[in-house]
Amino acid sequence: MIVIRSRRVREALRIALPFAAMPLLVLLGATFLEGKRHLLISLGMACMALLFFLTGFEKKKTGGRRMVIVAVMTALCIVGRFIPLFKPVTALTILTAMYLGGEAGFLTGALAAALSNFYFGQGPWTPFQMLAWGFVGLIAGALAKPLKTHRWLLLLYGVLSGVLYSLMMDVWNVLWYAGGLDWSLYGAAVMAALPHTLLYAASNFVFLYLLATPFGEKLARVKVKYGV
Amino acid sequence: MRRFADYNPVAVAVYSLCAAGVCMFTMDPVILGISLVGALLSLGVTGQMRRWEMHLYTAALLAVMVLVNPLVSHRGQTVLFVMNHNPVTLEALIYGAAAGGMIVTVMYWFRSFTAVMTSDKLLYIFGSLSPKLALLLSMALRYVPLFGHQAHQVSRSQQALGLYKEDNLIDRMRGGMRVFSVMVTWTLENGIITADSMTARGYGTGRRTRFAIFRWTRGDVLLLAATLLLTALTVICLSGRDVRYYPAFRLPPVTARAMAGFVSYGLLTWLPAFITGKEALKWHCLRSGI
Amino acid sequence: MALLAVRNLTFTYPGCTGPALQGVNLTVEKGEFLAVCGPTGCGKSTLLRLLKRELAPLGERSGEILFDGMPQDALTDRESAARIGYVMQKPEHQLVTDKVWHELAFGLENLGLPQPVIARRVAEMAAYFGMESWFDREVSTLSGGQKQLLNLAAVMVMQPELLILDEPTAQLDPIAASEFIATVHKINRELGLTVILTEHRLEEVIPACDHLLVLHRGRVLDCGAPRAVVGRMADQPELLPFLPAAAQLYHAIGAQGACPLDVREGRVLIEKCGRSGLSLPAEAPLDEKGPPALRLREVYFRYGRNDPDVLRGLSLCVREGEICCVLGGNGSGKSTTLSVAAGLNRAYAGKAEVFGKPIRSYRNQSLYRNCLTLLPQDVQSVFLCNTVREELAECGDAENMLPFDFGPLMDKHPYDLSGGEQQLVALAKVLATKPRLLLLDEPTKGVDAAAKQRLIGVLRALKAQGVTLLIVTHDVEFAAACADRCCLMFRGQIVSEGTPRSFFGENSFYTTAVSRMSRGLLPGPVTVADATALLRWEGEA
Ligand SMILES: Nc1ncnc2c1ncn2[C@@H]1O[C@H](COP(=O)(O)OP(=O)(O)OP(=O)(O)O)[C@@H](O)[C@H]1O
Ligand SMILES: Nc1ncnc2c1ncn2[C@@H]1O[C@H](COP(=O)(O)OP(=O)(O)OP(=O)(O)O)[C@@H](O)[C@H]1O
Ligand SMILES: [Mg+2]
Ligand SMILES: [Mg+2]
Repeated sequence: MIVIRSRRVREALRIALPFAAMPLLVLLGATFLEGKRHLLISLGMACMALLFFLTGFEKKKTGGRRMVIVAVMTALCIVGRFIPLFKPVTALTILTAMYLGGEAGFLTGALAAALSNFYFGQGPWTPFQMLAWGFVGLIAGALAKPLKTHRWLLLLYGVLSGVLYSLMMDVWNVLWYAGGLDWSLYGAAVMAALPHTLLYAASNFVFLYLLATPFGEKLARVKVKYGV
Repeated sequence: MRRFADYNPVAVAVYSLCAAGVCMFTMDPVILGISLVGALLSLGVTGQMRRWEMHLYTAALLAVMVLVNPLVSHRGQTVLFVMNHNPVTLEALIYGAAAGGMIVTVMYWFRSFTAVMTSDKLLYIFGSLSPKLALLLSMALRYVPLFGHQAHQVSRSQQALGLYKEDNLIDRMRGGMRVFSVMVTWTLENGIITADSMTARGYGTGRRTRFAIFRWTRGDVLLLAATLLLTALTVICLSGRDVRYYPAFRLPPVTARAMAGFVSYGLLTWLPAFITGKEALKWHCLRSGI
Repeated sequence: MALLAVRNLTFTYPGCTGPALQGVNLTVEKGEFLAVCGPTGCGKSTLLRLLKRELAPLGERSGEILFDGMPQDALTDRESAARIGYVMQKPEHQLVTDKVWHELAFGLENLGLPQPVIARRVAEMAAYFGMESWFDREVSTLSGGQKQLLNLAAVMVMQPELLILDEPTAQLDPIAASEFIATVHKINRELGLTVILTEHRLEEVIPACDHLLVLHRGRVLDCGAPRAVVGRMADQPELLPFLPAAAQLYHAIGAQGACPLDVREGRVLIEKCGRSGLSLPAEAPLDEKGPPALRLREVYFRYGRNDPDVLRGLSLCVREGEICCVLGGNGSGKSTTLSVAAGLNRAYAGKAEVFGKPIRSYRNQSLYRNCLTLLPQDVQSVFLCNTVREELAECGDAENMLPFDFGPLMDKHPYDLSGGEQQLVALAKVLATKPRLLLLDEPTKGVDAAAKQRLIGVLRALKAQGVTLLIVTHDVEFAAACADRCCLMFRGQIVSEGTPRSFFGENSFYTTAVSRMSRGLLPGPVTVADATALLRWEGEA
């Protein structure tokens, strides 16, 4: 067993490894493996990545207030998913990550996906959705500094993450349906999902545009009043 | 009377994942057929059968998925007709039907699983993985109805205070946005109160234990053992059985081994129905003795 | 040895000019029941929170707090959590989990107790509080009273040595409130638990407590045995309204001897007094002819298609220029009635008319423009801005609507105000919309007795201007003092209606302390002022 001394490196690896490995394996499996085996692998990988992340979370000491903020943001995301057409989920995940760090963002996104699927339909796509949303939060956490200072970057990131999320979920859909990464099918799926994708991107843009400043103020106030 | 839903959540979850999992990774039409029947039975057992809007939605989804494949994929020998200079093949249609059927069946499995998994069962399962995660889930679940309720309340209070000047859409959206924004404040502020209440009751002062109201009985262990056994049997017997769709659709011959696989999967998927039937019978006998 | 000792405690909130607490000294013996009272914003909640280390607000602080002879900070986290139990002002937000059983177990899980121990303690506590029938429910489906009881039980299950309660009964109906206080009293007696409690409705608390502490503007005004403290109040006229009715009467007629505290002692006092020979001025009869401002006829309402009916054939008519008070138990449908009357919920059967026009015929939000306004039960839902100043400016000239000085509060965040202050700011905001029909949902919760007196003045003045008021309240004293018409709601119906004197004269639980004290002795007084007019102190017989 290799022992990594630096806590920061360990922490970074814990987070980065599953993400680097996951899409790679899915793609490799899709291109080289026969039949449905790569599906099994990718699903297994997604679950492993989530488990990996959560064990790390379990071991760390997290204060009650941080826990509650993550919980309430998750709940806000779930409720937000009921808003017709415009969904604030990604925007809220990004904001949480920006102010509370990547791990909080990952948890918010992932838990929001897992729990809201109890209302919107649970299925084998849940782990992927969790990863995709968690991923969006994680990156936002890593980019927190520039995102806070440059508003246009935040908005751009919002739009991009909407598009990327859609593309990622389409990969999974096609994999599952066709048993392999059939590019023509993938094209069709992307085309079919285009209105959704655009709406996603647009709602991320709108919500980030409207919420970023007040959200920052509110969180700052809570920090002063309670010293989170 | 012990319903299927009352079994230990871990056993039920393992069962559902096994039943759905086998179906998810196969394209064998026989298995898919068995699984669909099983999923529908299990929907019936959990009282979800009468949800017509769900069936309608699934049917529409199935139709789309059956039709999409032959339009996009042109593999296969048997050309049915030519559309836009592209052949539409029978094999692609069959494949579409099988894939669509598989997806719909899995969705049905998950639907009956969701119906059974109430929040406290979910927490029980996750709690054994991570008590902290379980707490996080529990809090999030508690906040969901609270928010819905509060958002509604705020928007109504503001309406009664004359926040919305007219009945037009723009005004409504602006109002909605303000409400959403104040909900964030409300959430954070009152969330802190909740957090304080947690620390006040000793959260984070040391190792947490977990209190659960579910127990393992003989029946639960039996269910779990049966599930694992039947799943293993199914997987072993059916591995290597390769249904070919392209270039021509070909079902491999049904050997004794495959037959054993089908039977064990059949038993697996119909377990909830067996359990329910047995319990109903037992209850009938017991009641006649009262 | 004293369980708790506070020495010279001073505390200032960040960004505030004056201290919220100043030089507070206090000792609490083991097994004692201490009640803390004082006007809104005097620092009661601040004091109590400082006693529980985990809840202490951020700010500048000096002086020391000793728990069991040790400085507060010397306790370990676990000890501090387990030995001091705290029930907060808002029942809703201190519930952590989503199930009743999990909420009960939560504290014990945190202490890392083994499962069998948790199971035993939870079972015992659930049985003690009579919670078996709702043990499996989700907390969001509980009524306010049940939530508060659950909070108490969830703290009690950790077997604390000191129990601190901050206005635990603010939202409970009179019967549930007195039951709650009785439960606390019982715990204090049966388990020898030390209790510190604040309340605005002291009718039940003062007779039960061992010591009474009066806070005023962050200072301790008086502390001692309740009878002695209450007896000394005669020279503090602005604090008189805080006292139990019997004591108020005692002071008002200038009686001598031991000061009575509860209804039983009040009856003795009345028996000892002479009669003044005056009779009460006749009450204005119920107005049954005037044009109705609000009329509900045979209204049926339910929240979901498959839910039970909440309003079951409710009929209510409020005449123009009238103050109508609706009383009733928790969950009887009072707030629902107001929401139907305000057009926020639509009755599925029956008629609802405002100023003679069906509610549905008010288009384009015209119902809410200078016509009808609702102050909701949860006043936090009224606030949208970041400071009180913006909040008040939003509705025009809200600052001058009430005879209260909002000056010191202007730059605070609405969520930083004390419970009573929030209530008053929200009320000012509502009044600024200049409605003709005003619906108030529990306007006096968390408001102290003196502010309540002024509030009654405000409502009377509004009535004189021709405004119609429909008020839902749990505060019988308040209703008796300001209403023209009182109604009792039960299971979604108005079951009785009358002028205050006839209404409270006939009820035996939903009635004022004065009415209970004078039952059979005096002809129908319901307020302290009524009783004072009828009695004369002729010296000890
Ligand atoms: N977080 C805070 N920041 C600034 N000021 C505060 C804060 N909390 C309370 N205050 C102020 O401190 C004073 C005392 O507040 P506290 O909540 O202790 O009053 P209270 O006696 O409990 O009143 P009530 O009876 O209405 O609950 C009030 O004037 C209030 O405005
Ligand atoms: N939004 C809602 N959805 C479903 N049921 C509700 C809702 N609001 C209230 N109820 C139910 O309707 C009933 C009446 O509630 P209501 O709030 O009108 O009671 P209340 O008389 O105002 O009680 P309280 O004195 O505690 O404020 C209760 O049983 C409550 O559980
Ligand atoms: Mg207070
Ligand atoms: Mg109410």
